Amino acid sequence: MKILVVDDFSTMRRIVKNLLRELDFTNLDEADDGQTAWPKLKAGGYDFLVTDWNMPGMTGIELLKTVRANPETANMPVLMVTAEQKREQIIEAAQAGVNGYIIKPFTAATLKEKIDKIFARSAG
Amino acid sequence: MQDENERLELLAKAKQLVAHIETNDAEATGELLCSMTIDRERSLFKEVGQLTRQLHDNLSSFALDEQLIDLTGKEIPDAKERLNYVIEMTDDAAHKTLNAIDEILPVTVEMNRKCEELSVNWKRFLGRELSLDEFKVMSGEISHFLDSSCANTKIVSEKTNEIVLAQGYQDLTGQIIKKVINLVQNVEDNLVELVRISGSQSDETAVQNETKKGVLEGPVVPGVVVEGTVNSQDEVDDLLSSLGF
Repeated sequence: MKILVVDDFSTMRRIVKNLLRELDFTNLDEADDGQTAWPKLKAGGYDFLVTDWNMPGMTGIELLKTVRANPETANMPVLMVTAEQKREQIIEAAQAGVNGYIIKPFTAATLKEKIDKIFARSAG
Repeated sequence: MQDENERLELLAKAKQLVAHIETNDAEATGELLCSMTIDRERSLFKEVGQLTRQLHDNLSSFALDEQLIDLTGKEIPDAKERLNYVIEMTDDAAHKTLNAIDEILPVTVEMNRKCEELSVNWKRFLGRELSLDEFKVMSGEISHFLDSSCANTKIVSEKTNEIVLAQGYQDLTGQIIKKVINLVQNVEDNLVELVRISGSQSDETAVQNETKKGVLEGPVVPGVVVEGTVNSQDEVDDLLSSLGF
């Protein structure tokens, strides 16, 4: 399983990648905003996207909408990990087709729980 | 136009004065002269008053401009610099911490593995199940384990200290952020004063109620109330499940 981690802060990318490694996900790649993430996703080979919301260039919500609008990536599970915690934004992400929404700061247990839930669903 | 009116008024009064003098009306002459003098003084006072007011306004707006120039030219760029430094310091501290953990984890995992292995043999030794040859091998392993434990625990304590030291960023960034908060307060005070002096009426309630749609609020800061935000992951989960997730 190849995972793309998108966040404009390198420390957060590192933290998310470390946590994913702990959960035995070893095939990890990263990008620092939607603009650099999208060409990677479009080129293919990724199974799961973990993205922040507030990033320069192209935000996480724009990336999510782009992923859903493109037939090749439309079904990719997307987990949003963000400091944005306004109700209207969570609803916007849900309407755009996000598969999980985690607010920062988060714990390793929360990340595991949401990922397990996403893959239990896509398997069933 | 104003001057012309004043001139005509003065001319009329002068003609009246001449008429009073010609008819030798001392009382009326005295009254008219007196009223003309009062008029003269009044307009002089008014002019002096206006000049004083103008000078005062000019001086105070000049002082304000000086302050604003200082704020926009120096202090705000400085604040941006300071905040960038905060990002830099927190970035550095997080990487230092993660680097130290990267070095600690493999050491502790290896020590744990060796411990478990040795304790199996140790229990067999206590149960008198170990042959003399096996005991000799175990003794060697124990000696080696003790030596490596000394070195490994030293690494762990050194790296742990590095993590502790890296937390110093909190104090430093806190101080910088406090300075920026003071600056923002200063800018706010100056802007309020500018609005007051320029005399423009701002529709405060309209500004306050204006919705900031599309603006990302970012992390929720304790003490800063933002309407319509959730406070925990549980609330996010509840909201999403209410939407059929």
